[in-house]
This record gives sequence, structure tokens and C-alpha cells, in this order.
Amino acid sequence: MSARAPSAQVLTAALCIAAASFALWPLANFDGPWPEGIRDYLEARGQDESGARNLVSAIYLGYRGYDTLGETIVLLVAVSGAIGMIGAAGSKLTPGYADAAQGQSPVAGTARRAHRRTELIDVVTGKLGPVVLVFGLYVMLFGHVSPGGGFQGGVVVASGIVFLGMGSKGAGLSPLVGAVTLARIEAAGFLALLLAAGLGIVSGAGFFAPPLRGASPVGYIVALNAVIGLKVGAGIGFLCIAMLGEAER
Amino acid sequence: MTARLIIGALFMVGLWALVAKRNLVKKVFGLTILNSAAVLLFIAEAGASGGGAPIMGGGQRIVDPIPQALMLTAIVIGVCVTALALGMAYRLYKATGSMDIEEIRKRLGNG
Amino acid sequence: MVETDLALAPVYLPLVGAALAFVAKAFPRKGSAAAKALEYSGAFVGLALPWLALAYLAPLAASGGAVEGVIGGWAPQLAISYRFDGLAWMVDLLGFSVAGAAWLYALGAGPKGPAFTSIFLIQASALAATAATTDLFNLFVCLEVLGMASYVLVTSSEKPGAFLASFSYLMVSAAAMVFFLLGVYGLYRLTGALEYGALSRGLSALPKAGGAVAAASVASVAAAVALRTAVMPLYGWLPDAHALAPHAVSAVLSGVLIKTPLFALSRVLIALPGGDEVGMLLGYAGGFTALAAVLIALSQKDVKRLLAYHSISQIGYVVAAWGAGTALLARGEPAGTAFLAAAFMHAFFHALFKGLLFLTVGTISDAAGERDVYLLRGAGKALKAAGERLPITGLAFAVGALSISAIPPFNGYASKAMLSYVLKGRWEYLFLFAAGIGTLASFIKLSTIFWPAAGTAAAGAKALGREPSPCPVPDPSLAVPDPSLAAPEGAKAAPYRMSASVGLAQALLALACVGTGLAAPAFYAAAVRYIGPPGAYASVPALYGPAELGKTLIVIVGGGLLYLATRTKSGKAVAKAIRERPRGFHGLFAAFCLGLAGLYFWMTYIA
Repeated sequence: MSARAPSAQVLTAALCIAAASFALWPLANFDGPWPEGIRDYLEARGQDESGARNLVSAIYLGYRGYDTLGETIVLLVAVSGAIGMIGAAGSKLTPGYADAAQGQSPVAGTARRAHRRTELIDVVTGKLGPVVLVFGLYVMLFGHVSPGGGFQGGVVVASGIVFLGMGSKGAGLSPLVGAVTLARIEAAGFLALLLAAGLGIVSGAGFFAPPLRGASPVGYIVALNAVIGLKVGAGIGFLCIAMLGEAER
Repeated sequence: MTARLIIGALFMVGLWALVAKRNLVKKVFGLTILNSAAVLLFIAEAGASGGGAPIMGGGQRIVDPIPQALMLTAIVIGVCVTALALGMAYRLYKATGSMDIEEIRKRLGNG
Repeated sequence: MVETDLALAPVYLPLVGAALAFVAKAFPRKGSAAAKALEYSGAFVGLALPWLALAYLAPLAASGGAVEGVIGGWAPQLAISYRFDGLAWMVDLLGFSVAGAAWLYALGAGPKGPAFTSIFLIQASALAATAATTDLFNLFVCLEVLGMASYVLVTSSEKPGAFLASFSYLMVSAAAMVFFLLGVYGLYRLTGALEYGALSRGLSALPKAGGAVAAASVASVAAAVALRTAVMPLYGWLPDAHALAPHAVSAVLSGVLIKTPLFALSRVLIALPGGDEVGMLLGYAGGFTALAAVLIALSQKDVKRLLAYHSISQIGYVVAAWGAGTALLARGEPAGTAFLAAAFMHAFFHALFKGLLFLTVGTISDAAGERDVYLLRGAGKALKAAGERLPITGLAFAVGALSISAIPPFNGYASKAMLSYVLKGRWEYLFLFAAGIGTLASFIKLSTIFWPAAGTAAAGAKALGREPSPCPVPDPSLAVPDPSLAAPEGAKAAPYRMSASVGLAQALLALACVGTGLAAPAFYAAAVRYIGPPGAYASVPALYGPAELGKTLIVIVGGGLLYLATRTKSGKAVAKAIRERPRGFHGLFAAFCLGLAGLYFWMTYIA
């Protein structure tokens, strides 16, 4: 690049870095001990109170489940918003997705990239899709004993759905990856999550409390994992399949 | 201390990309790097509190599970924001034909 | 009904409504009666039922009591705490009243549909959640949900400028929340807790109350929330976002979304050491903002951008009193309650009249097809042509304009009188008074849209419902042909027709403005009782005394003179220079980082 005076953006960025470093320096410099109170408490009581061996699951589905509800809502809004934006731009989404997305059908005449697929991709992804789905379900449902859980498993399920969507040979997408199915799973998942949160009110334990505390709190956590996993998987899968575009026949 | 300085450098790289780069996608990269730096800081520093993963049944004392649970939420939120930002970048490209923020501003007429 | 469950009803019910709206989007055929029924029942559950919960909890909140607890009944040291007290009650009142009116308006004027309703309800739920939380990471999540919903809602107007505005808002807001996260890191590292009370106890036990680390963390958290409130210098994202959003969304953004984070922040600052210093500095920034933003507003051409800058100015009023109040309460002095009550009163009244202004001005600009305040004329005729029988919009606009200009007996007069009463003797009061003169001048200018249109058939045809375009159509040779932008050749855009729900929404807000104005002293007394500790009381000054009316007369005369000054040649040149000052995406970040550094510097070295 020729030597020019630095642009306004570069100068501004340098100013931002200087100001941020000045304000955040104490955080970088701080060498105090990490507080151990919560760790000690969870080591002693976490598994008994929540029923889960994986203490991270115990936290985000038990102690701090309300934050997880917020996180799920963020995902819902992001998927809904992103699909709405892209769908309304007149791009050719996968057939059937435009209506489900926003009710605005793509305007004719927009150029679209033909999706080039080879036999290799068709066979490998088509065969691998169900395997990835099963793995995703495993990660989702065993999140209370090993690293995993609703979000992690849901994203793997989403990639399984993408594999299925990419791999179908000519005959069209399998029913699992249809727009209507995925949108329904996502909406039903969100409703189910809210009902699970509200169950506590009905059983007298309070909002977002495990309804049968003392009996089998781990069941609540597994159920939440499953619901969240389905919702996340359906949502992200919907987003990815829609953006794949028209399948090449 | 070294770990924190390196993470700080990562943070500043993200901030640089976010502000100095003119391409919309590079700005989104910068935001992602910023998020990753914050997550790394939490997790790396929390690792000092113990030896084992926060799953009961292992041998050692577990690390503090709270940062991991918090960062799970933060990562998901970061991904969602990125998805939305890229959707907007796509619409801006379709509307103006450019991915450069100054060009876009000019072509939209700054209405 | 357990009171703890009802306290969370304002959060839970809109979520159930949103879930119903999502089901309406996914299951039945689009546009079918079942879809409409599900969507409307979702809106009813989410926007109407919470009023029942608020009514049931009113006596508890009025006595200064609170519903406190841990969500889910888990161990308090790591679970999420919440506190539904009078402040949360009042913020919910603000949020649900404006959101309800705005949704009614959107039913008639668009955007419509289950997709819009679901995100709108999620935004309402996030507002209620932000107001009641007392956990720092939960505040992070609630602010992110609030942000996500608003980014999507701003883009729902489908204007290309709206995408750029939302993109800028998203980027700077998301980056600020990363700084927030760093603040959470610092505070958790020091104390091992996330709940405000536990943080406060933990920090007080440390030497120097946590020292520089605590100061940097509190500064990061406060700066990130202050960005959402758009005090100067962090205001850059607001004009574009509020001007280019759909009208109903602008009303909620200006009315509720810039205020709820402020009151959530007051909970943080009152609890943590260093909060009083932050409150002080933000209060000074607020006073400055009130005047500076009004001067920029005077230079604006686009009607909605003008209203957006007035939102910034009015939030400056709120923050000036709020900052002083928070600083006093953080030091344990109960006199702060009066400041906070006055700040809330102005926040609520502003939400009502600014929401009303956005809705009415939106209707007028849609009906007339023009958004330039110098070109838009003959609003009354355009509204009649759009099918309005009674001049509801015109009257509502008059109520809104008189309210914001602080003319008695409307609510703006009362809240500004309260603000000047609590801020008496401070320099911020002079700035607010000067800003009042500017506000009046600006609204005289805005009211000229009702003057008769100069010109003949051309102006008449223009007034009959062309698609309003705030930005000139971009050069076709540069752009990839995008069907969403191309002007339909030969085909005219459908002329604007008024609908009943638009008139109803405007009428409700106008009545609320008049009603709260007449009942203002009682409202202030109630606010003090709700927001303060049990037994709080503050004296209510005489609102219509000779001093106050004399000041109003000065403002009227000064405003008229200032308006005439802006019509002169040099006035127009100054306005043009202000309007076309260089602004850019990078400026938003410079403002944020400098604001953060300034706040940290203030906390460590000055205060």
C-alpha cells in the first residue's frame, strides 16, 4: 500500500484501543485468588440438590435456569429475525421456506447461485446425516452426566439436519428437513420450555423450580435438555437449510 | 499474567477489526474475536481454582463451574448476534451492491 | 395466588403470548382465521393480562414493600435473585402502557403479523425482566434479549437505511456488552458473587472497597448500560435507529427502551461502592445532553429524526435528576428518593407524549407522503383525504407538542416543574431551562406541518399517499438490482388509509397525557411512596404558582424568538453545518471508549 495519511477509521481505532486499555488495565493486572466459595458449595451439595453429575448442567438448568430461558429466547429472536431479513430480500430460499419464513414470497427474476453438488457429497452427507443426528441426540440427552446438554446437542442435531438437507439425491429433501416441520418443532419446543418453567407454579414450588423436587430432580434436567436441544436444533437447522437455496435437480 | 496479556492483545485485535476495517464482514469478525477474548479470559482465569473438570466422580478438586455456565450463555448470545449482523450485512449488500461501510453510507444517501 | 409468582407474571405472560404468536406463525395457514386468533390471543395474554398482576401487586408496591426472592428456590449464593418493588412496578407501568398503545397502532398501520407480534411481546417481557433483576449476569442476559428484539424490530420497516441503522446499533451495543462481561469478570473475581447485595458486602470487606479493579469493573458495566440510554457522548446510534424504524417501534424505543436500563442501572449503582461517583458524572452528562441535543434537533429536516434528537434531549433531563438521585441514595441519603421520583415521573410522561408524537407524526407523514419538515404542509387536508373523519391525529399531535414544550396543564409541564424543583440551585437546572426554550422553538417549527400547502395540484397530488422515502433512491448503476428498493414503474403505491386502531391508540395516549398532567401532584406523591423505602415522603411543590408560570412565559417568548432566529440566513447556515457534521460508524466506538475511559478516570482520580 502506498504511504497515505492514516484514515479517520484507523485513527479512531487507535484512540479506542488506547482508551480501552487505559480503562481495562486493572483487570489485566489483577492477580488475586479465584473465589472458591461457590466451588466448595457445589462440590458438596450440587449433585444432591440437582441430581446431575455434570455441575455445569446443574447450574444452567437448575440454579440459573432463568438465564438459560433468556438465552433460548435470544436464539429464537435471532433465527426468526435472520430468516425474515434474508427471505424478504428476494433471494431464492429453499422452496417452501419463504412462506414459512415471513409470508413474503421471493420476487421473481433474482439471480441465484446454482448449488453445485457432486455424487461424493450426496452419498457421504446423506449416509452420515442420520449418524450425526443420533450423536446429537446422545449429546443432548446425556448432558447431565458428561459434557454436553441442550445447546451443544442441539447444534449437532442442526448439523445433522444440514447433512440430510444437502445429501438427498435429486428426489427432494427428506420430510425431516421440510420448512414446515422444522418451524413447528421450534415453535412447539419454545411452548414446551415455557410450560416446563410454569410447571413449578402449578406444583407450588415456584416459577422455574423442578416440580417434583426431592423425588427426581434429574428428570427435570433431562427433560429441559431435550426440549432445548430440539428447539435449538430445529431453529438453527431451519436457518441453515433455508440459506442453502434451491436444490439442484 | 502472561495469559491475561495475550487475551488482552486478542481483545484489542478484535476492537481494531471492528473499528478500523471498512468491510462489514470483517467488522463482524472483529466482534466475534472480542466475544472470544472475553470468554477466554473467564475460562482461563477460572482454571486456577482447581484441577478437574466440573463433573462429579473424578479424582481431583473441580474447577469453579460458574464461569463455564455463564460463558455457555455468552457464547450462544454471541453467535446469535453474529447471525443477525450477517443477515443485515447481506441485506445491505443486496440494497447497495457494496460491503464497504463508507460506500454503503454514501449510496444510501445518508437519509 | 402466591405473590412471588405474580411478581414474575409481567415477565412470564408476554413470553406465553410470544409462544402463542410463534405457534400462529408455524402451524396454521398464513392469514387464516386460526392464525389471527392465536396471534391476537397471544397479544392479549402478553399485553393485557399483566395489568391484572400489576393491579393485584399495587398495594404491596405502594407501601414500599417488595417481593424478593430467588428464582426456582435454589441456593441464594449462586441462583438468580430478583426484587419486584415499587420501582419495578412503575417501570412495568411505563412499559406496558406504551407497548400496548404501540401494538394497537401497529395493528392498523403495520408492521403486522405474528412474526412482528412475537418479537414485540418478547421485547415487552425483557423490559419487565430488566426492571426486576438483582443479579448482574441476569442483567446481562436481559439486556441482550432486549437488544436482540429491538435490532429485529428496527429492521422490520424494510427500509435499507433501517438496516444500516440497526447494524450500527447492533455492533456498538454488542461490543459494549462485551465490556459489560469484563466488568462481571472483575466483580466476580473480587467477591465470588453475582447478586447486588452479596457484591456490595463482598466489596466492602475488601481493602479500598476493591480498588482500581472494582472501579474499572463498575465503570465498564455502567458505560455499557449508559450506551443503551443514549446520554452524550454515547448517543450516535439513536437518531438513525429511531428515525428509520416503523412508527410503533419508534414509540416503544424512545418511550421505554432508553429508560428501563437506566432504572436497572440505578439498582446496581446504589448497591456497589463507587456508584455514587458514576451517578454524579452521568448526571452532569445528562444536563449537558439536554441542551446539546436540542440544538442538534433544531437543525434537523426529517420529522422523525427531529423527534429522535428530542428523545435524546429529554433523556438528558431524566438522567440529570436520576444521576443526582442515584448518587445521594448510593451514599445512603434518603433525599435521593425525591430526585429519583422526579426522574421517573419525567421518564413516564415523556414516554407518553413522545410515543404520542411518534405515532401522530408517523401517521401524518404516511398520509402526506413526505418526511421533510420544510416541505411537509397541509397535514390536516392529507389526513382527511386518508379517511379520517374526526381530527383525532391533529388533536393528539397538539397534545403531544404542548406536552413536550411544557405548556400547562399538560403532563410535560408538571414533570419539568418537578425536575426544576428538585434540581434548584444546580447548574444543570440552567441547562434544562435553556433546553426548554429550544424545545419550544423546535416544536413551533414542527407544527408548521399543519399550515396549508403552498401550491396547487402538484402539492395536492403529492399529499395523497405516495410511499414516503427518507433517503434519495440510490444510483441504480451502482447497486445490484434489489427488488425491495426499485420504485414500481407506473404502478402507484397504495394510498394511505387511516384505520380505527391507529386513531384509538393515539386517542388513548393523548388522554393519558392530559390525565397524568391534571393528576400530576398525586402522581409524584405516589412515585415517592412506590420508589422510596417504606414511609418515604417528599413535599410536593405548588405547580401553578406565579414563579412557575412566569418561567413558562419566558420559555414561550424565548422559544418564539429562537424559532424566528432559525429562519434567518445565518440561522439556516448554522443549522446546515450542524446537520451535515461528519458522523460515522467509527465515531460510535470512539465515543464509547472515550466515555468508558472518562468514567474510569473520574472514579479513580477525580471523585
